[in-house]
Amino acid sequence: MKRKHLVWFRRLCQAFFLLLFVYLLTGTKLPQDVYLDYSPNFEQVREIQIEGPVTFFFELDPLVWLTSMLSARQYIEGFGWAILLIVATVLLGRFFCAFICPFGTLHHMCGTIRPARKGRDRINANRPDPRRRFKYFLLIGLLMAAAGGVNYAGLIDPIAFLFRSLATSVFPAVGNGLRDFFETLAYSDIKIFNYLAYGLEAAAAPVFGYEDKAFHTGWAIGLLFLVILFLNRIRPRFWCRFLCPLGALLGIFSRFSVLTLQKDKTKCTGCGACTRTCQGAASPDPAEVWQKAECLLCMNCTAVCPEDALTFRLKWSSPERKHTDIGRRALLGGLLAGISLPLLGRLDGKISKTNAPELIRPPGSLAEEAFLDRCQRCGLCMKACPTNVIVPAFSEAGIGGFWTPVLNMNLGYCEYTCTLCTGVCPTGAIQRLTAQTKIKTPVKIGSAYIDRGRCLPWNGNSPCIVCEEHCPVSPKAIYFKKDVIVRPKRASSEPEKPEMEKPVMEEIDVQLPFVDLSRCIGCGICQNKCPVKGKPAIRVISAGESRSLENQILL
Amino acid sequence: MNHPPITRRELLKKICRISSGIVAASCLPVSALSKIAKAATPPEKWLVEGHGESPGYSVRELTRRVFEKAGGMSRFVKKGDVVVIKANISWAREPALAATTNPEVMQAVIELCQEAGAAKIRIADNTIHDAGRCFAVTGAGKVASETGADLVYPRSSMMRKMNLHGSRLDVWPVFTPLVEADKVINLPVAKVHGLSNLTLGMKNWIGGVGGRRSALHQDIHQSIVDLAQFFKPHLTLIDAIRIMTANGPSGGSPSDVMAENRLILGTDPVGVDAKAAGLFDKKPADIGFIRLGDKWKLGTMDLSQFQQDLVTV
Repeated sequence: MKRKHLVWFRRLCQAFFLLLFVYLLTGTKLPQDVYLDYSPNFEQVREIQIEGPVTFFFELDPLVWLTSMLSARQYIEGFGWAILLIVATVLLGRFFCAFICPFGTLHHMCGTIRPARKGRDRINANRPDPRRRFKYFLLIGLLMAAAGGVNYAGLIDPIAFLFRSLATSVFPAVGNGLRDFFETLAYSDIKIFNYLAYGLEAAAAPVFGYEDKAFHTGWAIGLLFLVILFLNRIRPRFWCRFLCPLGALLGIFSRFSVLTLQKDKTKCTGCGACTRTCQGAASPDPAEVWQKAECLLCMNCTAVCPEDALTFRLKWSSPERKHTDIGRRALLGGLLAGISLPLLGRLDGKISKTNAPELIRPPGSLAEEAFLDRCQRCGLCMKACPTNVIVPAFSEAGIGGFWTPVLNMNLGYCEYTCTLCTGVCPTGAIQRLTAQTKIKTPVKIGSAYIDRGRCLPWNGNSPCIVCEEHCPVSPKAIYFKKDVIVRPKRASSEPEKPEMEKPVMEEIDVQLPFVDLSRCIGCGICQNKCPVKGKPAIRVISAGESRSLENQILL
Repeated sequence: MNHPPITRRELLKKICRISSGIVAASCLPVSALSKIAKAATPPEKWLVEGHGESPGYSVRELTRRVFEKAGGMSRFVKKGDVVVIKANISWAREPALAATTNPEVMQAVIELCQEAGAAKIRIADNTIHDAGRCFAVTGAGKVASETGADLVYPRSSMMRKMNLHGSRLDVWPVFTPLVEADKVINLPVAKVHGLSNLTLGMKNWIGGVGGRRSALHQDIHQSIVDLAQFFKPHLTLIDAIRIMTANGPSGGSPSDVMAENRLILGTDPVGVDAKAAGLFDKKPADIGFIRLGDKWKLGTMDLSQFQQDLVTV
């Protein structure tokens, strides 16, 4: 009975941490009910920051911490939980995978609820497979690449993977779909449907917000997520056994752990129940040697054994166990891959050779090389951004910066006094800013330039001042030169004479916009609000960004 | 806090009220009906200006005195009315930067509506910056939570295509809470603007529509007048407690702001704007949309036709 309780305790932990993960994820946004107090004698800009430990799971993740430190070559603070987890893993083993990891819990559910493989087939599926060394290959490759200066860990770190998948793919997709449904109801002529739509939308808003979200490559992120979940049909917990670099790292740390599986061979009847329920394919069967580094400590085997032949005990030494099975090939292959990855990643020149104009990073970002040292591509900043301007990069940052955050001013813009993204970066790739420093410094993320061929006053079409109107800096970075343009007379409200053949010209007063590069901060609201559709007539490029010494235009 | 514009109960009440009204009206002799229609048409020619002269005066007190002078809020808002307040909360700027409606004025107006017996009060604006941040920073959120008014989050499901019947604008998405109300109060802040010269009452209605708003600037004055004739507020109160005199309409620096300590109340949208233009030392006829508003008979820009009152605090 006691062992069964342990399994239920594990399930409780899994449910708690999975829900906590989703709760923190949905909380990574502008707080809904934070209303700043106003007072007539206002002095300074007040802050809105995201409350709550939204980076908790990242702070718990030693892979995030170690790779960031390796590539940044400096101690990174704020990872107390990861240190605690390393200590606990050294003592107890990979319990994180079965008790805490939210991605592991998803795999556990996918592999256990209506499993694809049953009975004897499932026992076979849970036998040790030498291909599990692949995760060590990945881990060594990632650590090596990080040491070489490009941190790819976030691409397959389970916490970053799950956050990115949910934040930039699953939640936006569901939210946009729901909104379509609500709009259909809201546009109907039946009043009750309208009220239903308004009510449902308000109820869903704390999770999905009120606006449609768009993320480049969101479809690919979602597809990959589904494929990884689907792999559970080939092997239960396929990800945890064959792919997860964090699991591999914890497996290495578990080498000297004292929590060991005690097997009583005399009681065993060879029924195979333990192997059938084993999550890590760690050979719990008393006839085999326990594979400690693969064991997730899910406690299933001890609970299902009808003869009570299996128990977990604290024991300093036990001969009946096998050490971490890395394999020479995985080690050498990982080292080779790890060395070549940063070298290949730099070949497109986007990291150090050129300054890609479309590579606009969030405010407070470190210089490009230092940024890539730390960025985990987790999507926290993208989730936090209220205007949806931050999206995962596809080609903007080169292959070394795949899925790192870039700003797309056609989707949103960087709001002048907003600093939400700067407060959530778990590794400090985006440094925390206050609204005051963002404005006063000022932190520039790029600069705007006007496409005179497309601009309405410049190309002689009509007056327009939208970019200047929205420019948030004071004095404005966009200024005017008054001019008179001559254009063919347009049909106005008075009907024209139909026989008119020669175009009659008319003079109109316009204000021709200019950008003052010394004042422009590159926030992109001009590009976002420009009435010239398709390709806006004013666009922001990364040149002029504060974080770079080279990527400057002005002397 | 983001409630749908009309609850079911309100709807049922409204249906009862309307149908009983139709029944009652059908009983009236024809002459009486025409009398009602006549009484409603001519816009009243009056303006009340409030000026906070004493240092440290209460904005709330000033607002109340202005309405008192105009005959009290109960003249305009009846018991059980659904009132929508079109404030300017378009920019995520602190109140002191005068880019948005002064929250103290907003609060005072809401309280007056509540005292007059309004059943529901909504604050609505289709913001330019992210609405959540606008609510938080401008003080509108605070006002809503303190007074119990609904702050309606602008969203696509509440945009409905309507024909504005303007000379320039026809079908545009309209923010529905602004039209689904018994009484509409326009509560703009007075600012300078790079193209329309000034941002006053009529221009505030650009925040009442969605769609490709930035294209309106290609014929800004006619667009403003088209929108103003569509929305037709029952009251306009221009907040000139703090006015923005440079870098409008977004401003951003305390040096762009001047303390004017004034409020201008009226029912004539053109007259109120004409009066407010004087705060910037401009002649009403020099401002395109005021001139056009006069021409299209939305109101009168000739201030000499108005009975003007001044209250000071």
